[in-house]
Amino acid sequence: MPKDLLLVAIFSAAYLSFALFALSQVRHWRVVFDKALPTQREVLLLRSLGILMLSISLALSLVRDGASFGSLLWITMIGVAALAVALTLAWRPRWLRPAGKLFSFTHPDTGRVNHKMNQVKG
Amino acid sequence: MKDGFRTRMSLLHTWAGLILSGLLFAIFWTGTLSVFDKEIDRWMMPHTRIHMDTVRPLSVDREIIPLLAERAEGAKAWTIVLPAERRPFLTLAYDSAKSHIAQRNSFHPITLEPLPAPNTRGASNFIYPFHHNLTLRQNNIGALLVGIASMGMLCLLISGIVIHRRIFADFFTLRLLRGFGRANLDIHNLTGVVLLPFTIVITLSGLMIAHLIYFPKAPDAVFAQLNPASVTQERPKSKVREASRKREQDVSSENEDEITDAREGSRNSPARSRFIAESQGRVRPQAIGQPANIAAIDPMIAATESELGQGAVYMIRVSNPGDAGGVVALRLNSDNSVSQNIDNRRFSTATGEELAHFNSSSTTNIFNFIAGMHYIKFTHWPLRWLYFIAGLGACALIATGLLHWTQARNQKQGSTGFNVSFMNAHNIAAITGIISATGAFLVVNRLLNNREQFAGISSRDLEVYAFFGVWLACLLHALIRVFINKQYGYRKAWAEQCWTIALIAIAAVGLNWITTGDHLLKTLFTHTYWPVATLDLVLVISAVMAIYAARKLSVIRES
Repeated sequence: MPKDLLLVAIFSAAYLSFALFALSQVRHWRVVFDKALPTQREVLLLRSLGILMLSISLALSLVRDGASFGSLLWITMIGVAALAVALTLAWRPRWLRPAGKLFSFTHPDTGRVNHKMNQVKG
Repeated sequence: MKDGFRTRMSLLHTWAGLILSGLLFAIFWTGTLSVFDKEIDRWMMPHTRIHMDTVRPLSVDREIIPLLAERAEGAKAWTIVLPAERRPFLTLAYDSAKSHIAQRNSFHPITLEPLPAPNTRGASNFIYPFHHNLTLRQNNIGALLVGIASMGMLCLLISGIVIHRRIFADFFTLRLLRGFGRANLDIHNLTGVVLLPFTIVITLSGLMIAHLIYFPKAPDAVFAQLNPASVTQERPKSKVREASRKREQDVSSENEDEITDAREGSRNSPARSRFIAESQGRVRPQAIGQPANIAAIDPMIAATESELGQGAVYMIRVSNPGDAGGVVALRLNSDNSVSQNIDNRRFSTATGEELAHFNSSSTTNIFNFIAGMHYIKFTHWPLRWLYFIAGLGACALIATGLLHWTQARNQKQGSTGFNVSFMNAHNIAAITGIISATGAFLVVNRLLNNREQFAGISSRDLEVYAFFGVWLACLLHALIRVFINKQYGYRKAWAEQCWTIALIAIAAVGLNWITTGDHLLKTLFTHTYWPVATLDLVLVISAVMAIYAARKLSVIRES
């Protein structure tokens, strides 16, 4: 079922993109990474990767369903994906660590994933 | 300057919210349920729980015309709605010499035996109409109220964005464990921002669909300028047509009329009729008066489907069968496009010859796209589910908005004036009240179990009375609780109504099992039937969530 797989891929890309956007914010950065503050460069990189993933999910939607259904699918899907990221951060923030690891992979010097996981308040 | 603007927007947000949110919750709740209206119909009409996998295509000439010939003697028009995935039965509608109110019968798609009358409005004829006209049809009052609420919703969405100071900084912020007020406002902000594209598009398209209700004189103005004579000439005839239209709408229908009703309301002027005829191709061919044979319809369908794809035709409307001026109009389904497909293919009944068919203009097609986005008549299950989830999110947005106002005031000791108590009761009735009422609608449907009437009241009406009765009871219960104990009464009322929802939801699942034998293990595994299984599952999940909420509400101490 390539159509079902594509659907999962569209959601995953959208989810990952919002996860990266969230990690670019100090409040959520601290939940995943060792360092207190992201550098300007890291923020920029996280957000560009987020935009990239978001574009990938749009492209996949258009490939799956064509222009009209595809754009509608994408618009509704990103809303639900953003809700899902917010719920993850509220309920199981450490589930975003894989996204952080993925990011550290692209950016090895900084952004080490924090394994001790001290819950951040604020 | 900027702060002044924000303050004013904040005032607008508060007042529009206080006044309209109860209505908005009802509209969004019923709208969200209407996403799965046909599936709720299957649950409420057990005779129509038919698997479509085994259904073969029907022959109109050999199988359907004989059915019509024996039933629809002297009918001026036949409507044949072919079985489809979400509507797994054949529907025939026809008028008779005695009455021009069309009679509507359903038939099993394989055996072609008549199905028993459903004796229920189902979701298609109650929850869905409630969504767009609150079932207040007289003078379009309901539709106008919905319109006002929708305009209010747009104001609320925009003013909400203006007064939200930290849209991006708080984009993902959801502090669920930091006290009710904080969590509630976070949910409100989150759903408001994240679902903004959905809520704006759905509200705006909802308003645009009903443009003929909100701007009733617009076609008059245009057509009177173009051709004043044609508008005035038609008047006497159209009075009759208007009356017959109105009566037609009273008869329940499952496809076309529910859409035209949502779009146009219940009054048509001559100019409006012309506008509708020109833009949407809805014309009524006149009879010539010479008898003629009926040409074979199957070849017409075959020709159309060879051009447009297998299964493109979903409805066949034969006007004046047996007359030389008869017309067969094949309506095309919208399964594979967001736009609503209102084009048709037309043939002469007498000769079978192809006539000029209606193709909507590009302007109309833009409208069809906007309307199609709202109606979701297409077959796209992931998108349908996303609409459902986003709809529930919008309900949460409205509910948390209401709670934000009362909760900020409930927290302050000794400040529970009349207005706060009133809003407490209002919120309970508006949120848990309508949810219980919807559940009661389902429970009474299964209690009546397809009988025609009970205690002299028709079942169709009794279900609706149950809906409004339970809603009213929830309001009374909330008022009593809140005014007996102004400080904590609302909390008790919330908890008790959550228990009610849980009880009703479990009762609905149980009654479905008892009356039809379709329990979840059967509909999920042994005889998989998704419409019923999904509704049962949603009911079970609702019950679990309601119990969780009720227990939380009784445990947490007032802080």
